[in-house]
Amino acid sequence: MKVMVTGASTPLGLAIVEKLLATPEISFVLAVAKERKPAHLEDAPRLRYQSVDLTRPRNVHDLLWGDAQHHRIDAVIHTALHRSASDAGRTVHAQNVEAARALVLGCSEHPTIHRFVYRSFADVYSLKDTTTNLLDEDDPLDFDPDSPQWVRDRVEADLTVCAHFGGRLQIAVLRCAELLAPDSGSQLWDYLSSRVCLRPLGFDPMLDVLSLDDAAAAFVAAALHSQSGVFNIPGADRLPLSRAIAESLRLDIAVPGPLMSPLYRLRRIALGFDFRYDLNARRFHLGGILDGRRAHEAFGYVPQVPARWPRPWWRRLIDQLAADRAIASRPEPQAKPLH
Amino acid sequence: MGASTGTRIARDAPFHDEGHGFDVFGLHPPSLASAIDATSAIYERYFRVDSQGAEHIPKTGPAILVANHGGMLPIDAAMLFLDVVRRTDPPRIPRAVADHFVPRLPLVSTFFARLGVVSGTRANVRYLLERGELIAIFPEGVSGPAKPFRERYCVQHWAVGFAELAIRYRAPVIPVAIIGAEESWPLVMKLRNVRVFGAPYLPIPASLVPLPTHFHIRYGTPLHLDHGHIYTDAENPAIVAAAADTARAAVERLVQETLATRRGVFR
Repeated sequence: MKVMVTGASTPLGLAIVEKLLATPEISFVLAVAKERKPAHLEDAPRLRYQSVDLTRPRNVHDLLWGDAQHHRIDAVIHTALHRSASDAGRTVHAQNVEAARALVLGCSEHPTIHRFVYRSFADVYSLKDTTTNLLDEDDPLDFDPDSPQWVRDRVEADLTVCAHFGGRLQIAVLRCAELLAPDSGSQLWDYLSSRVCLRPLGFDPMLDVLSLDDAAAAFVAAALHSQSGVFNIPGADRLPLSRAIAESLRLDIAVPGPLMSPLYRLRRIALGFDFRYDLNARRFHLGGILDGRRAHEAFGYVPQVPARWPRPWWRRLIDQLAADRAIASRPEPQAKPLH
Repeated sequence: MGASTGTRIARDAPFHDEGHGFDVFGLHPPSLASAIDATSAIYERYFRVDSQGAEHIPKTGPAILVANHGGMLPIDAAMLFLDVVRRTDPPRIPRAVADHFVPRLPLVSTFFARLGVVSGTRANVRYLLERGELIAIFPEGVSGPAKPFRERYCVQHWAVGFAELAIRYRAPVIPVAIIGAEESWPLVMKLRNVRVFGAPYLPIPASLVPLPTHFHIRYGTPLHLDHGHIYTDAENPAIVAAAADTARAAVERLVQETLATRRGVFR
C-alpha cells in the first residue's frame, strides 16, 4: 500500500510518516508539507518528501495528478492545518478548509486513490450543559456563528469532507482529542507551559488528552482499513484539569471565571503565548471526553501511550537521567553458547 | 485500627479507573471516602436514617433506583446515596443522575462529579448501564423539589426515559420511597426571576438549616419492566409510558405505606 501524508513537517505528520515506514504493509510514503524537508526526517528508499503549498488549488491538482498518480498512491492522510490560534483570515481559511475541499474532491476522482483519512478535532463538538459528558460521533456540532474562526474552520472542513461520504472514495474522519505535543497547535500544551495556570474557580472538568504515538497509530490504522465514517479518537489520559496542571508541575490558581479571559488576553499581549481562553472556556467549565468505541470496533484503535506533559526543564532533565540510568542498569543479554 | 467506612467503601466498590484515579465522569474514590466519612454523623445521628429492603438492590449488573423527590435541596438524594453505599456488600456506588443545570454550578458541579453524579443525558445513562452500573434516578426532576409543601409526598410529573433504558438494557428497576425530606427543609417561596447559573429558580427555605426529621428509606422488590418485551419495544412510546407508570405506581404505593407506618416527622 502506498500512502500520501499531508502536513508531514508537523510533529503529528512526522510521527505518522515514521509509523507508516515501520509498517510492513506500507511500500511507499509520499510526505507532503509546505515547509522544506525537516532535517531529522531520515532518507529512506520508501520515502519521498515533496514541498507543496496546499492553499492553492492548482498545487493540489498538480500534486494529485502528478506525483500521487505517478507513485500510484492508494491512500491519503490529510493532517495539514493552520496551527496558531492567534491567526485568522483568508489564508488561514484556505489552509484549513479550501485545501481539504480541493483534496477530497481531487481524491474522489483519482484513478488510484481509494482511501482518504482526514484529521478533525474534538473542538467541532458543541459543548453545552445539556451535552453529554461522553461525546460520541452523533453529538451536535458547534454551529455558533460567533465562535472564533479556529472553531468555524474546523467545523466547515469536517462537514466538507463528510459531504463526500457514500461515493467511491472511502473516507474516515478522525475527530481527535487534544493532541498534547509542542508545535502541534495544542492549546493545552501552551496553557500548561506557563509556570502559573489559572483555572476557573469552582470548576475542574474532565479532559481527554491524546499522545503523539496514539494519534499516529490511529491514523495508520485508519489508512489500512476501509470503513467509512466519523470516528472519535480519544487519548489514554482522561483526567481533571487540576490533575493535568499537577502532572505538568505547574502552579494551579483558581480565579473567578469572568477574570479568566482578560487575564489570558493580557498574557497573550505581554508574553506572546498562543493560548486563547475564549477557545477553551466551555471545555474548562464542562469538559468533554470522547467516546472511542466506534474507532475501536472499526479498526481496533485503543489508546495506550500516555501523553508527555510540558514539565519544566529541570524535571525533564531528571526524568531523562532516570531513564538513562534504568537503561544502563539493565543486564547485558548473554550470548548463546556455540555448539 | 481498621479503615474508616468511607475508605472501605471506596476501596471495595467496583471502579473504572481511566488512569489517573478518576473515572470518565470524574468519580474519585478518595474524595468519595472523605465525603462519606464527613457526612456519616449527618446520616446516622442528625437524620437517623432508617432503611429497609436494601437486599433488593442487585449485587452486580445494571440496575436503576427510581425514587420520589422532595425538599429544597437534594438531601434525599444524598441520604439515598449514603444508604446504598453503606448497605450493599460489596458496596455499590449509585450514579445519581442530576439535572442539566448542575454542571454549570461552580464547586457543586465538581463536588458532585467526584462523588459519581452524572449529568442527566441519555448517552451518559446508556454508557453507565452498558458498563453494568447502578443508576439512581428521580423521574420527577425539578418538579419534585419545586412543589408546594401542601403537596408533599404527592408524586409530580414523571419522566419516562428510565423505563425506555430499563427495557433496552434489561435493567431491573428498584422502586424507592424516601420519607423525611419534604419536612426537613420545606420551600417557602421560589424566586423564578432569579436564575443563578441556569437554575430554574432561587429557592427560599422555611429554615436556615434543614430540620432533623427522621428519614425512612424503603426499597421495593425489583420490577422487571423488560419482561414480555423485546429490545425494539424500547422505541414504542405506549409501552415505555406504561412501564414508567408501573414504576410510578410502585413508588407511590411504597411512599404511602411508609407514611402510614411512621410514628412522626421527628420520631
